[in-house]
Amino acid sequence: MNSIEILPVVIAAVFCLLGIGIYALLVTRNLIKVVVALQIMVKGALLALVAAGRLAGNVDLGQSMALTVIVADTIVAVVGLALAVQIRRHFGTLDLKSIATLRK
Amino acid sequence: MIATKTAFTLLIALPLVAAPLIYLIGRLVYRSGKAKNNPAGWLALIVLLLTAGLWVLLYLRKKTETLVLITGQVTMAGDAVFLLMSITAIALGLMVVMFSIFYMRAEPGEEKFYALLSANIGSIIGLSATTDLFNLWVWFEAMAVTTYLLVAFYKDLPGSLESGIKYLVQSAAGSALILIGIALVVAETGTLELNLMAEMLREPNALLLAAGGLFLVGFGVKAALVPMHTWLPDAHSQAPSGISMMLSGIVIEAGLIAMLRVLGVFLQVTNLFGPLLLGFAALNMLVGNLMALRQTEVKRMLAYSSVAQVGYILLGFGTAFTLGVSDGSISAFFHLMNHALMKGLAFMAAGVLIYTLFLRNGSHATLKVTDLNGAARKYPLAALAFSIAVLALGGLPPLSGFMSKTAVFLTTFYTLNPWMIALVIFAALNAVLSLGYYAPLVNRMYRLEASEAVKNGAPMPWLMALPLILMALLIVVMGFYPMLLSDLFIPAGVNILPYAGF
Amino acid sequence: MLSTLILLSIGIPWFGAFLLWLAGDGKPRLQHSLAVMFALGGGAAALAMIPLASSEVALVIPVGAVFGDFTFIADGLGVFLAAVAAVIGSLAVIFSVDYMHGEHQLSRYYAFVLFFIGGMVGLVLTSNLLLMFFFWEITALCSYALISFHNDDPKAVAGGMKALVITQLGGIGLLLGALLLFAHTGNYDITALLANPGILPAGMLAFMAFGALAAAAAKSAQFPFQTWLPDAMEAPTPISALIHAATMVNAGVYLLARFYPAFKDVPYWPLAVMLVGVITALMAALMALSANDLKRVLAYSTVSQLGYMVYAVGAGGIFAAQFHLFSHAIFKALLFLSAGAVIHAVGTRDMREMGGLGRQMPLTRAVFVTGALALAGLPIFNGSWSKELVLEAGLKAAEAGGTLWMYILMVITAGLTALYTFRMVAMVFYGQPRTERHVHDAGAAMKVALVPLALATLVSWLAVGPFSRLLDEHTLPYHHLEAEPTLVWLKEVLAWPTLIVLAVVAAGILAWFGREKLAGITQFLRGLNWAASNSFGFEAVNRAVVAAVGWLAEKLRAFQTGQLNWNIFGLAAALVVVLAILLAGA
Repeated sequence: MNSIEILPVVIAAVFCLLGIGIYALLVTRNLIKVVVALQIMVKGALLALVAAGRLAGNVDLGQSMALTVIVADTIVAVVGLALAVQIRRHFGTLDLKSIATLRK
Repeated sequence: MIATKTAFTLLIALPLVAAPLIYLIGRLVYRSGKAKNNPAGWLALIVLLLTAGLWVLLYLRKKTETLVLITGQVTMAGDAVFLLMSITAIALGLMVVMFSIFYMRAEPGEEKFYALLSANIGSIIGLSATTDLFNLWVWFEAMAVTTYLLVAFYKDLPGSLESGIKYLVQSAAGSALILIGIALVVAETGTLELNLMAEMLREPNALLLAAGGLFLVGFGVKAALVPMHTWLPDAHSQAPSGISMMLSGIVIEAGLIAMLRVLGVFLQVTNLFGPLLLGFAALNMLVGNLMALRQTEVKRMLAYSSVAQVGYILLGFGTAFTLGVSDGSISAFFHLMNHALMKGLAFMAAGVLIYTLFLRNGSHATLKVTDLNGAARKYPLAALAFSIAVLALGGLPPLSGFMSKTAVFLTTFYTLNPWMIALVIFAALNAVLSLGYYAPLVNRMYRLEASEAVKNGAPMPWLMALPLILMALLIVVMGFYPMLLSDLFIPAGVNILPYAGF
Repeated sequence: MLSTLILLSIGIPWFGAFLLWLAGDGKPRLQHSLAVMFALGGGAAALAMIPLASSEVALVIPVGAVFGDFTFIADGLGVFLAAVAAVIGSLAVIFSVDYMHGEHQLSRYYAFVLFFIGGMVGLVLTSNLLLMFFFWEITALCSYALISFHNDDPKAVAGGMKALVITQLGGIGLLLGALLLFAHTGNYDITALLANPGILPAGMLAFMAFGALAAAAAKSAQFPFQTWLPDAMEAPTPISALIHAATMVNAGVYLLARFYPAFKDVPYWPLAVMLVGVITALMAALMALSANDLKRVLAYSTVSQLGYMVYAVGAGGIFAAQFHLFSHAIFKALLFLSAGAVIHAVGTRDMREMGGLGRQMPLTRAVFVTGALALAGLPIFNGSWSKELVLEAGLKAAEAGGTLWMYILMVITAGLTALYTFRMVAMVFYGQPRTERHVHDAGAAMKVALVPLALATLVSWLAVGPFSRLLDEHTLPYHHLEAEPTLVWLKEVLAWPTLIVLAVVAAGILAWFGREKLAGITQFLRGLNWAASNSFGFEAVNRAVVAAVGWLAEKLRAFQTGQLNWNIFGLAAALVVVLAILLAGA
C-alpha cells in the first residue's frame, strides 16, 4: 500500500528533475553547470527506472538498471568534465557562447 | 574448429578486450623506445582481421544454426541485422586502421586512438546483437562514450574540444530521454526483452506512445535526425579523418538501427511511427542538401551530405514501417551499406589530402574546397577515389550509389500511395540538388592550376593507396552488379521487421 | 552471335575507356592510337549487328530482386542508333587526333568519349526500362564531364553543371516511369508494355507518358529545357559533334519513338509532343538567326532540327522522325566537325571575326557548304528528303486532327532555317576577311573524318528503302511501319506540298541575299531579335531558380548557430512536436 501513496510523489519528482535539467540545458552557458544539468536529468531518469521496477512488481530489475546507469552516467560526467578542463585551459573560459566557433 | 557459441562470444568480446591491450602494449613498447613507430596501429589491424575471420566463420555457420548467446538474463542474438551491421563496422574499421597508420603517426597518444577505435567497433557489434532494451542502452552508451573521446581526440585543438563537448551534451541528453522511455515501458510491461514486449504491447496507451516518442528523439540525436542533427557537422569535421569515416559510415547508422529495433516493438501500439520517420526523411534530405550547398570546408560539406543521406535511408525504413513491406527496409539496408562505403571513401580521400597537404607539414589546418584545386595533378589516385565517392553519393551510374538510391526510390514508389509517390519525387529533386555541390568538387580537382597547398604537398604514403583502391573498386563493381552483397542486406531487411506482425 | 555483338559493341569501348584511364597521361601517341582502335572496334561490332536485327530478346543478364533481368533486344531502331553512335563516335575520335593534338589530360578525354559511346549503344539496345535509365544517366555523366573538360574555364564548368542538372531534372520523369512500370507489372519489360499498354491503368499510363516527354525534352534540349545545349558548346568541338548533335541529344527522340505505340492513345499526349516540337523548332530557329557564335548557331539549329523530329513523332511519323535523325546525325556531325576545323584554325568562335575563309580552307568550305545545304533543306542533299518526310507526316496529322497551324509554322521554320544557314555560311567563308591571320586547312586526320561524312550527306537518302526495311514489322512488331523500296519513298516525297516547302526555303535564301532591301522588316523584327538573343527569358528563369535555391541555402545556415543551448532547443522542440503528433494521432 506504500507504493500507491508514494508513487505520485516519485512521478512528480521525475518530472521536476527532468524539467529542471532541460531548462538548465536551455539557458545555462557555463560548461560545468551544463554537466550538472545533465546529471540532474539522468537522476530523474534513475528515479523513473526504480519506480518502474516497483510498478512492474520487479524491484530487482529497476534497481539493477539504476545501478548500471549510475556507472555509465558517471563515465559520461567524467569525460564531460575532462573536456571542460581542457576547454578552460585552451579558451580561458567556460562560457559556451564564447567557445562557439563552429557554426553555419 | 571452435564451437559456434565460443566464436560468437569472441566476436563480441575480442575488440573490447583487445582495446586495453592495444593501449598498454602500444604505450609500453613505444615508451621503452624499442620501436621506431608505435605498434598500436598494427595490433589493431591484427585484432580486426581476427574479428573479421570470426565473422566469416559465424556467417558460414549461420546458414545451419541460429546464433543465440544467453548469459544470465541477457540474451544476444546473431540475426541478419547483426551480421550486416557487424561486418560493416569491422570492414570499415579495417579501412580506417589501414588509413590511420600513417595519418595518426606522430600524434601524441596514438595508442589511445586505436584502443578507443577497437572498443568503439566492439560496442557497435554488441549493440547490433542485443535483443534486450536496457542492454541496448548500455551498448549504445558504450559506443557513445568511445566516440566522444575519439571526436575530441586532438585535445590541444579548440575546434576538436568544442565539437566534443557539444556532441557529448546533446547525445547524453538524448540518452537520458531513452532511459525515461525505458522506465515507461518497463512500468507497463515488466520486461526488457524486445520479443516479449512486442507480444504484450497491443493496445494504444498514452504512456507507451510517450515512450515511443522518447525513443524516437533520444536515438534520433545519434542518428542525426533534423533538428537534432546540429552536433553532426561539428563532430564530423573536427574529428580525425578516420573517425569521421566511422561516425558517418556506421555510428549514426548504428543509432538508427537501435532506434528501429525498439520502434519495431511499438508498431502495434500506433501506426504513426512510419509516417514520422518519413517526415524526418524529408526534413533530413532538404536541410542536409541545402546546408551542404554553401559550405566552404570539404569535411563539413561531407558531414551535411551525411544528414541528407540519412534521409534516403530513412525513406526506405519509413516505407517499411508505414506499410510493413520488407522491400523498403531491404533497400534501406542496401543504401546503408553503400553509404558506409561511399562516405567512408569520401572522408578517406579528403583525409589523404589533409595528411599530405597539411599534417605532414605540421599544420592542423582545415581542408577548404579551394584547396582541392588541381589536386589530380599531384594525387591522381586520391582525386579519382574522391570523385568516385562523391559522384556515387550524388547517385550517378555506374556507381553503387545510383543502384541503392534507385532501389530506395523504387521500393517507396512501389506502394503506389500518393504520399509516397510525392516523397519519391521530392527525394529525386533533392538528388538533383545534391549534384549542385558534389559535381563542382570533382571539377575543381582536374586540370585547374594547383592550389598553393597542393603545390607544397607531401607524397602519398603507400599504405593509404590500398584502402582507397579497395573501396573505389567495390563502389564501381556494385554499380554494375548491385546484388553483390544481397546475401547480407536482404535477410537484414526482412529481419528488422520481426515484431511488426505485418 | 547477336548477344556477343551486343556485348562487344558496349564492352570494347568501355574496356578501352578503362585501359586509357589506366594508361595515364604522358604518352599522347599511344593514347590517340588506342582510342582510335577501340572506337573503330566498337563501330565494327555495331555495324555487324545491322543485318542481324530482330525483335527477339538477344541477351539476358539475370540480376534479380528489384533490379529485374538486364535484357537487350537488338531490333531495327536499336541497331540503327547504335551504329550511328559507334560510327560517328569513331569519326569524332579520329577527328580528335588532330583537334586535341597537344592537349593535356587526354586519358580523361578519351576515356569519357569511349565510355559515352558504350553507354549510348547500351541505351538504345536495352529493353529493361531501369537499365535504360542507367545508361541514360551514364550518357548524362559523360556529357557533363566532357563539357567541362576545360575545367580551368569557368564557363565550361558552368555549362557542364547546367547540362547535368537540367538533364537530371528531366531524367526524373524517366525514373518515375520505370518505377511505375515496376510497381504495376513487377518487371521493367518495355516490350510487354508496347504489346499491351493496358497493363497499366489509364491514369498511370498518362503519368508515365508525360514523364517520358519531360525526360525526352530535357535530353533533347526541347522546350522548356532547351537552355542547356547552347551553353554546352564550351565542350571541345568533336564532343559537340558527337554528343550534342549526333547522338546523345537524339536519345530523347529515340525514347518518344520507342514508346510511341504505348503512349499514342494517351489523351493529348501526341498533341503535347507536337506542340513541344513546334515551339522548340520555331524558337530555336529565331535564336539561331540572332546568334554570332558559330557553335551556338549550330547548337540552336540542332535544337530546331530536334524539334522537327519530336514534331514528327507526335504526328505519328516515327519513320520520318528516325530518318530525319539519321540524316541530321550525318550532316550535323559534318557541320560541327568542319566548324571545329575552322575554330581550330582561326582560334575564335565569333563569326564576326571570320569571313573570307573559303580561299584559305577550300576543303573545309566544300564540306561545310555540303552540310549547310543539307541543313537548309535543298534537294539532292539528305536533309531535304527527310525533312519532307517529316512535314508530310505533319500534314497527315493536320488532316486528321486539325493541327494545320502547326504544319504552317513548321514550313515557315524551314524557311528560317535556310535563312540562318546562308547567313552562317556567308559570315564564315565569304565576304572580306576580317582578321589578318594566316590559317591552314584541316589536318590529315580531320580530313579522314570529314570526307566520309560529306559523301554520306550527299547520298544517304538513297538508303531510305533499306532503312525502312530495317524498321519494319519483323524487328519492330508494335510500331507498324511500312517497308517500301526507295523509289516508292521518293515518289511519295515528290508531291505538291513539297513544292510549297521548297518555295518557302527558296524565299528564305532570297531573304538573305535581299536583306538590304528588307531593311524595313528587319527593323520591325528587332524586338523579336532582342527577345531571341535573350533566349526568350528562359535564361532568366534558370538564373532565378538557381539564385532562389542559393538564397534559401544561405538563409538556412543561420539555424546552425553553433550554440549548445540552441542545439538543445532543437532537441526539445523535436520532442514536443513528436509527442504532440503521437498523442494527437492516437
